[in-house]
Amino acid sequence: MRKFVIPSLLFAAFGIIAAHAHAFLDHASPLVGSSVASAPREVSLTFTQNLEAAFSSVQVMDANGARVDQGKAQISGNTMRVGLKSLPPGTYRVRWQALSVDTHKTEGSFTFHVGGP
Amino acid sequence: MLRRSSCPRAFALALLFVALSAAEALAHCFVGPRFFPATLATDDPCVADEMSLPTVAWSKTGDMPPATEWDISVELSKRITEDLGISIGDTWSNIHQPGGFTQAGFSNLETTLQYQLLKDGPHELALLLGLIVDWGGTGAVDSGLATPWSTLTPTFYFGKGFGDLPDSFGWVRAFAITGQIGYQFPTRSFDVVQNAFIPQVLAYGGSIQYSMPYLKSEIHDYQLPDFINHLFPIVEAQFETPVANNFGNSPITTGTINPGVIWVGTYFQVGAEAVIPVNQASGTGVGFLGQLHFYLDDMFPTTIGRPLLGGSSAPPQQLKF
Repeated sequence: MRKFVIPSLLFAAFGIIAAHAHAFLDHASPLVGSSVASAPREVSLTFTQNLEAAFSSVQVMDANGARVDQGKAQISGNTMRVGLKSLPPGTYRVRWQALSVDTHKTEGSFTFHVGGP
Repeated sequence: MLRRSSCPRAFALALLFVALSAAEALAHCFVGPRFFPATLATDDPCVADEMSLPTVAWSKTGDMPPATEWDISVELSKRITEDLGISIGDTWSNIHQPGGFTQAGFSNLETTLQYQLLKDGPHELALLLGLIVDWGGTGAVDSGLATPWSTLTPTFYFGKGFGDLPDSFGWVRAFAITGQIGYQFPTRSFDVVQNAFIPQVLAYGGSIQYSMPYLKSEIHDYQLPDFINHLFPIVEAQFETPVANNFGNSPITTGTINPGVIWVGTYFQVGAEAVIPVNQASGTGVGFLGQLHFYLDDMFPTTIGRPLLGGSSAPPQQLKF
């Protein structure tokens, strides 16, 4: 039993668990993989952890890879937003990289479609 | 496979925890947007700061009549540098024979040194090399639950996510596979007690897994219940085939196929699998495997969740597009 006790005691000895971790994408607007009838004015990403604003970013591209986001991304707490140019119907890809406040890095991308299904 | 020791083991565990250093915290098995959870029967393809406490297995042996076996394992994995890691683990077993006789005790202590060969984010590909050492004589040799000789198993691990398939593949992109193959050398070729040759063994296995988190965040958010979005349905398989020095022993391959599911949270994951023997020599009936697994890098990002040495202590590069 000693072998089970030792790690447990060490666990306890390190005390309170820090409330930080990898930042997963919790939800997005427009929704990941969704089709929207009218062009959104911004993309909003909400993560499971607070972000380090200086080292987190988002970009939005059209089917040709051209950037369609505009302005600087706004990062507050666990949310990252970026404005969009006027989007014609089509498929757009959102790429994001996030650094949670304890320096864990995550990244991802998804698409949404403008113009209905 | 996880085995036993005594005081030196406790000391080693303490050293791993106490020797802390400053470095950037990344870890568990992220490869680009892909997260590979810690698998229960096989290993994931990354070095990491993690702890399985405990892994519990129940099964019936392939003996006639079968004995009932409980195994309780602990494993601690710690990064030494960003790409080099070590694991240390052990298993306590209790085997109850139908006639009432019971064997109980620790297996030999097992350590694994691993080096991360590759993490290719865009292709969601991870490659890892490892050397598993089962330290002879550190377990309950007298009870027959451990061997007096050691074994060395150089092992190659891989993981591949299918997120780099074209978008037209849709939900299929959330699949991933992992695998490992190792060659086990015993440090003795003959067991004088059993009067039998000790075979060299090919140990291999892997998993096919489906990532609900990946489906939600990369492909399509169906707004499923939060619990569902944390699940990884998985099928693991593990096999052992004697390939050399097996004179007089059974040449048969043994193994299990384990369908199950892993729930992944922020600081820990919980996994449960059925254990289906592939033949009579591998067991009788369907067993069970369960595991509680902690992400030390997320629980203790400034202390034991970091590599012991090196790493990138400099601030991360600001992202520019």
